[in-house]
Amino acid sequence: MITCEEFFAEFGDYLEEQVSAEVRQEIELHLSQCRACHVLYDSTRKTVRIVSESNSFELPQDVFHPIIDRVMAKLRTDPS
Amino acid sequence: MHSNQAFAEDAGMNIRAKPGPEQESDPFIVFREAFGFIPNFLRAQSALPRVIAAHAKLEEAVCLRDGEISRIHRERILLRIAADRRDNYWVALNTEVLISLGVPEDHIDGLLNDHEQAGLLAPDLALLGFCLKLSRDSSSVGLEDVEALRARGLKDEAIVEAVVLTALAAYRCTLSVALRPEPDVKPRNLWLKKIRGADEALSPTIGADARHKAASRGPYVPAPYLSPITFEHFAIIRKSHGFIPNFFRAQTLRPDLLAAQLEAVGSILLPEDVLTRAQKESILLAVSAANLNSYCVAVHGNLLRGLGFPAEEADQIAVDYRLSNLSKADMALLDFAVKLGTRFAECSPEEAGKLASFGFTQDQLLEGVVVTALNNFANTLQMGLGIEPDFEPPSIFEKNKVNLSHAAATLMPREGVEHLADTSQDADAELVAQAQCGKLEAFEELVRRHTRLMYRALIAILGDAADAQDAMQDTLLSAFKHIGGFQGRAKFSTWLVSIARNAALERLRGRRNMESLDQSETEEDCKFRPRQIAAWQENPEQSHSRTEIRQLVEKGILQLPPKYRVIVMLRDIEQLSTDEVARQLGLSVPAVKTRLLRGRLMLREWLSPHLVAGTKGAAQ
Repeated sequence: MITCEEFFAEFGDYLEEQVSAEVRQEIELHLSQCRACHVLYDSTRKTVRIVSESNSFELPQDVFHPIIDRVMAKLRTDPS
Repeated sequence: MHSNQAFAEDAGMNIRAKPGPEQESDPFIVFREAFGFIPNFLRAQSALPRVIAAHAKLEEAVCLRDGEISRIHRERILLRIAADRRDNYWVALNTEVLISLGVPEDHIDGLLNDHEQAGLLAPDLALLGFCLKLSRDSSSVGLEDVEALRARGLKDEAIVEAVVLTALAAYRCTLSVALRPEPDVKPRNLWLKKIRGADEALSPTIGADARHKAASRGPYVPAPYLSPITFEHFAIIRKSHGFIPNFFRAQTLRPDLLAAQLEAVGSILLPEDVLTRAQKESILLAVSAANLNSYCVAVHGNLLRGLGFPAEEADQIAVDYRLSNLSKADMALLDFAVKLGTRFAECSPEEAGKLASFGFTQDQLLEGVVVTALNNFANTLQMGLGIEPDFEPPSIFEKNKVNLSHAAATLMPREGVEHLADTSQDADAELVAQAQCGKLEAFEELVRRHTRLMYRALIAILGDAADAQDAMQDTLLSAFKHIGGFQGRAKFSTWLVSIARNAALERLRGRRNMESLDQSETEEDCKFRPRQIAAWQENPEQSHSRTEIRQLVEKGILQLPPKYRVIVMLRDIEQLSTDEVARQLGLSVPAVKTRLLRGRLMLREWLSPHLVAGTKGAAQ
């Protein structure tokens, strides 16, 4: 079975589902037997999910449309 | 029997061997023991001892050591490929080696005449046929060819060996065309009559059957897990390349062959005492593109980006380096390498002279030849094993997993074409053209389309909404000012985000304690390990309102250092692919991957106290 260090070396690609079948098999065997790495994997996976679904930093339309309007007005009067 | 001089002065490409190093360095001892003499192909590289050592490593691992394929059959395969390529030097040497191994001359004669009637056992004949197919047109090899070998009882380890052997033949023949080593032995009539009359080397066919390959997904042989911690060569390649390419991972069935390749690659590519790393990567990119090898195009495009080349410039080298911003000298180097790597039958001794006129030294010329040979080694091996890409190839190329499409191939030689990107793929192309003619409405429509993308790039870098608003104004004015110079080398949205990024960076630079996005990873970054080890709730989203979660995420992201924040923002909030993030930020994919993981882990550390099992509550 791979070690925790070996797991960590492959962790980024595993999260991105970019490991070969052979590497995935080794990682999953490790995760089934190492609680610490399993917690790390599970919480990082949840972090990615939460961040992706959080709708964070939505564009404040009421702020940006006036900025664009202002810039366009400036360009219309002085395109140089 | 052999000469100390690598080649006759007027026969080769004027790449001179330095006076033969008669001192018996390690690689020479190996070959003296194996052949009874030091072959001229090694002496011809004596100006650069480290490339001799690299070549010797490959020869020793692939040809001399015990393997799955018998030594005699390996030599038969090498002989037949050399004859197929009409390479007199290697035919002569392989013939002599076979004779020294006790193979009768009439058997060699039969092999050269018609190998199918040479009395080979069925598995040996199948393996030879496979290698010849791979050598002639690597794009024609597919999974069914590998399965046919398995049906003949060949083990996967032997198939990997056969592919590496064919790759070595490509390496050898590329070298011999350029260096033209003097024959080590007096030519024997038996082979001369078979291949004479076609004295000129025969270049392999490129992409003759790429369509066939398109349907055949690799990798063709399994690759057992090999630890980057215990297999030290993987640790080295991770350090030098930032990742372990699938090219190496796919060969883990044969760690012995892998180790030799990794040592050779290290000796040839990493030193910068002769050609620079960027020049070598440019050769690998341009020759791989000419060989229609999308795997290697993607890898070397990324490595060039990691060396500071803009993504569009790397793409341009792949598509048509003559329209890139490279210097005239570097273009001449690529002219030479592409011809040598893909149409070596057309190479003449004058080619080297042309390069000398651009100021290249003999050593640089030799290294250019060796890098081109290494490229052909890699291209052959990748095709033979059907190795899957590590990254997406440039968008101009099909996302087909192994070969570039014929459509992409037809784009390459175009002369006088101003734009790299196929603007028909960019939904903004028409509006851009109108905006470039001064139509303000078109410009306004364009920026409104991409406001969200610009905003996220701005806030990702600046970490402050008010600053992002000011920077948005700068971005729009700058985009309008420079849109006339937009050449369509990248998508318009990519270009616009790069303007936003520059506007944000300019503001960031005005601040104290600015941390650059370009700052590379420190040892400490690489050693980062999470400290929070408590398990999280099963569904953290259920114990917090959506607003609470959003506030937590926003606070967490804003406290990340900019170089991690921008990547987490673009990848996880904006949902761009890793490759797209790399392009947007002008970073290599491995650098993005490293920072993405680090950023995610830092965010996880920050979120953990709020989301571990047994906790519940609003954002702090």
